[in-house]
Amino acid sequence: MTAAIDIKGVNKTFGPKVAVRDMSFTISQGELIGLIGRNGAGKTTTIRMVMSIIFPDSGEISVLGKRSAVESKDRIGYLPEERGLYKKMKVGVFLNYVARLKGIDGAGLDKRVRDWLERVELLGSAKKKCEELSKGMQQKVQFIASVIHEPDLIILDEPFSGLDPVNSRLLSTLVDEQHAAGRTVIFSTHQMSQAEAVCDRIIMVNDGNKVLDDTIAGIRRRHDPKTIEAEPLHAVGDDEFGALARLPGVESITRANSHLLFNLSGRESAEQVLARIVQAMPVSGIRIVRPTLEDVFIDIVTQAAKTPEERARLELITSERRGPGGSASD
Amino acid sequence: MNKILTVALREFLAVVLTRSFALGILLPPVMMGIVITLMPALMNQKPPKVQGHVAVIDHSGVVADALVKAFTLESMEARREQEHKAIAEATSKAIGVDAKTAEQATKGASLPGAQPDLPTLSVKVLPPDTDPEAAKADMRANADKRLSDMGPDPRLALVIIPKASVDGEPDADNSQAHATTYPDFPIFTSPRLDPEVTKDIRNETGRAIVDARLRSSGLDASKVRQLTARPDADVHVVTASGERKGNEAAQILVPGAFMFLMWISVFTAGQYLLTSTIEEKSSRVMEVLLSAVSPIQLLAGKIIGKGAVGMLVLTLYAFTGMLALVAFAMMDLVPWQNLIYLVVYFAIAYFSISAIMTAVGSAVTEVAEAQSLMSPIMLILVIPMMLWFPILRNPNSTFAQVCSFVPFINPFVMVLRISGSEPIPAWQIPASMLVGAAGVCLAVWAASKVFRIGVLMYGKPPNLATLVRWVRMA
Repeated sequence: MTAAIDIKGVNKTFGPKVAVRDMSFTISQGELIGLIGRNGAGKTTTIRMVMSIIFPDSGEISVLGKRSAVESKDRIGYLPEERGLYKKMKVGVFLNYVARLKGIDGAGLDKRVRDWLERVELLGSAKKKCEELSKGMQQKVQFIASVIHEPDLIILDEPFSGLDPVNSRLLSTLVDEQHAAGRTVIFSTHQMSQAEAVCDRIIMVNDGNKVLDDTIAGIRRRHDPKTIEAEPLHAVGDDEFGALARLPGVESITRANSHLLFNLSGRESAEQVLARIVQAMPVSGIRIVRPTLEDVFIDIVTQAAKTPEERARLELITSERRGPGGSASD
Repeated sequence: MNKILTVALREFLAVVLTRSFALGILLPPVMMGIVITLMPALMNQKPPKVQGHVAVIDHSGVVADALVKAFTLESMEARREQEHKAIAEATSKAIGVDAKTAEQATKGASLPGAQPDLPTLSVKVLPPDTDPEAAKADMRANADKRLSDMGPDPRLALVIIPKASVDGEPDADNSQAHATTYPDFPIFTSPRLDPEVTKDIRNETGRAIVDARLRSSGLDASKVRQLTARPDADVHVVTASGERKGNEAAQILVPGAFMFLMWISVFTAGQYLLTSTIEEKSSRVMEVLLSAVSPIQLLAGKIIGKGAVGMLVLTLYAFTGMLALVAFAMMDLVPWQNLIYLVVYFAIAYFSISAIMTAVGSAVTEVAEAQSLMSPIMLILVIPMMLWFPILRNPNSTFAQVCSFVPFINPFVMVLRISGSEPIPAWQIPASMLVGAAGVCLAVWAASKVFRIGVLMYGKPPNLATLVRWVRMA
């Protein structure tokens, strides 16, 4: 089976700024991939190159077996980060127009537009001008515009930005449906929790470089838990605290309100250390804190930080996140 | 190709279906067309037929007979005939069609019924000792009535001819011996009387008085009139191929109208293109479109769609103009091949200028930002507007010839020169078209480069130098 997207050694610079550096990855058909990274990391540039909206300085990109997306535009659905609508155009007319541009024509088009608007509860707005819709409604119309032609490959650039939780969930469901129908879906986001909840596989970009490319399970496996959070049954005295800190596999302990956070040295597995803690101290609750994608991301970024100042700033963020209450997640 | 047409259709409809387009662009020529076609019908609403008599109190005793003769049906018909001839002659001199065509046109061949029916007027001569107030009594009684309610033969006017009007009286203010003055004569009319009829009575009475004066001096009035008619010049233009009638007004109006028409259509369309591109960019719909079509397809579709708008404006205005010329039977003022040239040069002007305007639109995010980029372009484009008169006066001057080969302004200059007074070297028409076509290619090529980069560029608007760099870079 041909890959949905195959990128080999792609570079792109804008003047002095290197936007993408030696990027390579392959996405198989039917995968659901998250492209994550900070703002300005190179996600949108990569996507625009995949879409042949801009062209790489060097390297090769093939999309759906074709040398460029231009040749397979009608088989790709794209929701750009910079997305808008014709303000004065009616919603139904706009979707009709976009579908026609993507090669859909004929009698079934009107029905298809109606069905989609019904799915996202916007059927009543078909005759409204786009500017009369709320931002969330506009996002839904834009999503329909990107999938109305039933593409084989769907690329969504920051699809969740600006959506309220209800619409976020609706969009997640719609993305899942597209994936379940066998379509390849790629979406970029800087909200790691979103990617973690939806994707099979993650490609992480930082400063124009690909820094991680793995399945969610793989990432969890590779990035061992580094913390165990325990709630002692009774107050822990200084002697006891010292004894706990000397347990094999424990590097240090931090007090956080009524909790103790055991930072692991990594020389022994988290499960072994957990068993030792339980033996040493009666607890009312204890758990291994799994690293979130965000933790992994910050770890990687911290290691890659070029200047000591940047590293210090990132470490500060990390320690804040690992502070009271354990690992924060969005 | 299909996608380009889809874009073009949307671009066309997005303009044509707006209220502002209908009001601002379509309405004026449509209204003019309606007026021109309906004019004859409207003119058919003739003023009510004038029927009645003119009373004359002739103190001189020598004018009334001539007046009676002047208002017989035959005399009135003859006068009208003469009027037509005079108007036709004046028209033919002013715009250079031959007198016969002009006569047909003005006579009402194409404006049937434009003339009201001849009035049924008779002249009733009252005895010189009639009391003028008593003579006016009938008119006073009818003053508030409509013409049709005034009875069978109402009095419509009263003319009093003082004896001195014919014989003269010694000039009291003038110390010179034998100095004579001729006083004016009064006319009293019903308020309902058609001013044209009043004018006719005034003219004919005046003429009859002058005739009477000449007769009393022993002169033949018709002879004197013939002798004193002022001759007018008959202007002929001598050209290599012979002579033709001078047509000063048409020489300036027709080419000028052609050029302005083209200018307006090109800029209407260009302006729409500029604003629609800016709107697509600022509303961020651009990248949505670019996911379905390539930048070049989008550019082509936009230019074709808005070009159709320009062509619609051009056709509409040109058609209205033609309709007017047909209505006045002056079609021979515009040779048909000039219309073909107009379309070809419109295409050249439109494609080169619109490409540049789209490029500018794609580079900025707001209309205000476009203005600074547009001003150098506008400076070049107003040249033909500012210099149309000298070019027209001398279509083969060095300046006019050089301008015919400068891309972007040459379509306008050529339209002026082709329809101007002097034939231009035949080779210059295809040569200027080639230069124009090269200009189009250059503009579209540069525009596509700027467009590809510009459409996704937000933030600080680029200056002209940046645009040039984009052209060289992409």
